[in-house]
Amino acid sequence: MHVRTLTLLTLALIGTAHAAPKKVTGYGSLGIVGGKSGGTYTLPLGDSPQSLFYYGAIDNNLGLISQQMFDGLVEFNLATYKIEPALAESWTITDGGTVYTFKLRQGVKWSDGQAFNADDVIFTYRNMIMNPESRAGDPGNFKLGGQNVTISKVDSMTVRFTLPRPAPAFLLQQRYFIMPQHKLAKYGQESGAKPGDINSAWPTNVAETEVVGTGPFKLGNYTAGQKVTLTRNPNYWKVDAAGKQLPYLDRLEFLIIRDPQAQVAQFLAGNLDQLNVTGAQFPDLKQKEVAGAPFKVMRSTALFGSPPFVAYNFDAKNAALAKVFSDVRFRRAMQSAVNRERIIDTVYNGLASLPGHGVAPVNKAFYANTTRQLGTFSLNDANDALDAMGLKRRNAAGIRLLPSGQPLELDLTYGTDSAVYPSIATILQSDFAKVGVKVNLKGILSSRLLATGQSGDWEMILHAFGDQPDPELRRPIWQPGGSLYYWHRAPQPAKDGDPANTARMASWEKEIYEIFNKAAVEPNAATRKALYTRWQLIFAQNLPVTPIAKPENIGAISTRYGNYVYNLGVIPGYNPVPLIYQK
Amino acid sequence: MLTYTVRRILGMIPTLLLISVVCFAVIQLQPGSFLDQYREDPRVTPEALQAMTRQLGLDQPVWVQYLNWVKGIVLHGDFGYSFANSRPVSSLIWERLGWTVFLAVLTLLVSWVIAVPLGIYTALHRHGKRSAALNFLGYLSLATPDFLVALLLIALVLRTGGTNVGGLFSPDMIDAPWSAARVADLLAHLWIPMIAIGLEGVAGLMRQMRASMLDVLSQDFIRTARAKGATGRRVLWGHAVRNAVNPLISLAGLSLPSLISGTIIASIVLNLPTIGPYLYDALLNKDQFVAMTLLMFSALLLLVGNLLSDLALAWADPRVRFE
Repeated sequence: MHVRTLTLLTLALIGTAHAAPKKVTGYGSLGIVGGKSGGTYTLPLGDSPQSLFYYGAIDNNLGLISQQMFDGLVEFNLATYKIEPALAESWTITDGGTVYTFKLRQGVKWSDGQAFNADDVIFTYRNMIMNPESRAGDPGNFKLGGQNVTISKVDSMTVRFTLPRPAPAFLLQQRYFIMPQHKLAKYGQESGAKPGDINSAWPTNVAETEVVGTGPFKLGNYTAGQKVTLTRNPNYWKVDAAGKQLPYLDRLEFLIIRDPQAQVAQFLAGNLDQLNVTGAQFPDLKQKEVAGAPFKVMRSTALFGSPPFVAYNFDAKNAALAKVFSDVRFRRAMQSAVNRERIIDTVYNGLASLPGHGVAPVNKAFYANTTRQLGTFSLNDANDALDAMGLKRRNAAGIRLLPSGQPLELDLTYGTDSAVYPSIATILQSDFAKVGVKVNLKGILSSRLLATGQSGDWEMILHAFGDQPDPELRRPIWQPGGSLYYWHRAPQPAKDGDPANTARMASWEKEIYEIFNKAAVEPNAATRKALYTRWQLIFAQNLPVTPIAKPENIGAISTRYGNYVYNLGVIPGYNPVPLIYQK
Repeated sequence: MLTYTVRRILGMIPTLLLISVVCFAVIQLQPGSFLDQYREDPRVTPEALQAMTRQLGLDQPVWVQYLNWVKGIVLHGDFGYSFANSRPVSSLIWERLGWTVFLAVLTLLVSWVIAVPLGIYTALHRHGKRSAALNFLGYLSLATPDFLVALLLIALVLRTGGTNVGGLFSPDMIDAPWSAARVADLLAHLWIPMIAIGLEGVAGLMRQMRASMLDVLSQDFIRTARAKGATGRRVLWGHAVRNAVNPLISLAGLSLPSLISGTIIASIVLNLPTIGPYLYDALLNKDQFVAMTLLMFSALLLLVGNLLSDLALAWADPRVRFE
């Protein structure tokens, strides 16, 4: 008993000693050094933000700004991508993985000086994150097996989530930005507002002082269509290794520049300090860097980001084609005709690597090495494999004939307004022709790809879905019967939320289906990893879709700044900007 | 004249109504909906999509949506809601109108000031070498799209080590209070859009003015004026130019809608804070009430411009009378 009390006491003491602020250390491997305070850092923003309220609009530009003004309960470690404390100082997971208790960081203040506490967290979760009427909420993740997750306040600095069943990916998801109750109360349902009213909070003409957060910066000024200025939040809760208050920078400016070429021009002119570039822009910028321009171009392997794939419609309207497409021998044969090396070299300028199967290779927590299953590019192998599956007969034009006698000719649907899809599509078309498969290109707007995929009115499609740190977060894509598993729609339930129709799955699909169901509730990390490893191998062998390449992230930054770590993009809970300093 | 004006203004109402029906129908014919862009987002559940459809009124039949929109305008002067921005359309447009009007009026003035004298000059010296050179330049600038000129100018500025490559201000001047330095900064940036956007107008206007001058110069009344012994200058400015400028007055009225849609691509390339790119986005995303309002505004400007140019013509040309 005494021992226990003593331990508790010690823990409590350590707790107070470590209570706010958070010390950001251990990034020597990323080249992070102690910086000096001051300076302005200017970044491009692709378009005007649609709102200044993160949960009111699904908008990447808004996300980019919000990331600097708000924090979540947990965040990613910048080097390992592991989850670590943010606004929550610590947490416990009890009752077999169904109760998550978050102890909030002591002494955190909003940028207007008000104290942060459990009420803010509860207010944010109830009115925004778990609210189905909130535009950018995420209510789907708070319904497990048809039952709701509940949130409750334990004391003023502790909140508790009770889950209907274990959900190991739950912690990773709690990077949602927390909003101030004292500024948004009138939009909350507690004060009688309708659930949808929350979307109209903080429109772009709101007074700057209304937008209050716990993030490194606060809103300084917004000039419609031109610029968003953020200024240092004097109350930020992070310090550097030497105990110096973060962020180092005084101001963060976002210039609104819509055209990517105009962004490059502004960067070269020195009006922008940092720019994320594409593979196509890389050679030119790198050349200038080598010639002595005052910036560096850096590349890094990406965790997030959409790797393109090709999919064949198992339920194609043309029954003869549908039969061929759902034959794994065909998909494997065609994989040999996918020239990944050439696509990486010519389309991505070499700035991409081989893809994983549903998991990014850099994702140490889950990636299983499936490089061998990607095979090598060989038109001979593809020819032999197609011959072996009985598609030997060809017509006068050299196109293979299906058993029904019709030529093996298919439409490839791709996005014409993308920098990469058109060239990838042409390469596929030309190589497929060499093995007797005629491909007709069918270009549409990239924004229509998903809707077309889900409509079922296509034969072969070139599309991309993002990787996520935990496969559970991409379940609707990769679990057969999921709402985004559109290449084989037959197993999808008639009604959302119903179990999938396993009778219509191939045996390997059924196995993947089971794996996802098991892994979703498996509390043991090693067992989960084993399950997802098995999934990746089945994926690689059966190719529900054929992944093509994983593009890298490329960033250019002015040499006047230090501590640049590639920004993964608009990912809540991953924010290296507070460490950047002006030399 | 007054009755005529009033009649014309009243006539605009059914025209605008008809245009609005056509615009709405065309926007609806576009495949997909505003919500399509969210389907791919893992955060958006099917229930959330349903909720958004309901919030935005997209679950109602198309004609109900249309009638509600028209009703809002007539009864409350409410032009609807921007789906993307969760804000009333009118306040959003208002925010961007200032710079749009400023740029449009300025380019219009600049192109007139340059084009009219050049047109007169090339008409008077039809066979001169200088005229040929000017005509050639005119054709060239007419054939070069404005965004391309903009890109070339940006490349030129970059090559010479300049920093004013787009936008109307340097980054630190965007939200600064007005001062001499800010005006200087504006002027340093303004010449690129003036040239890029204005040049095309110059070439067109110059050709128009030239043709019109040539037409007028061969008319009997010019010969009469000369025969009466009027000075060359009086014949030129008092008779020839005054008559030749009439078609240009009509043109000026017609160019009002270009305020909104005339310079979309150049505005994107040059990063100008005008309404054009906003219309482009609204059309792409099916943000229907923003698109509708801008299209209607554009149509209204065309009608008003037409009316103004008719009135100006009546004032400038004694042969045109309404009574």
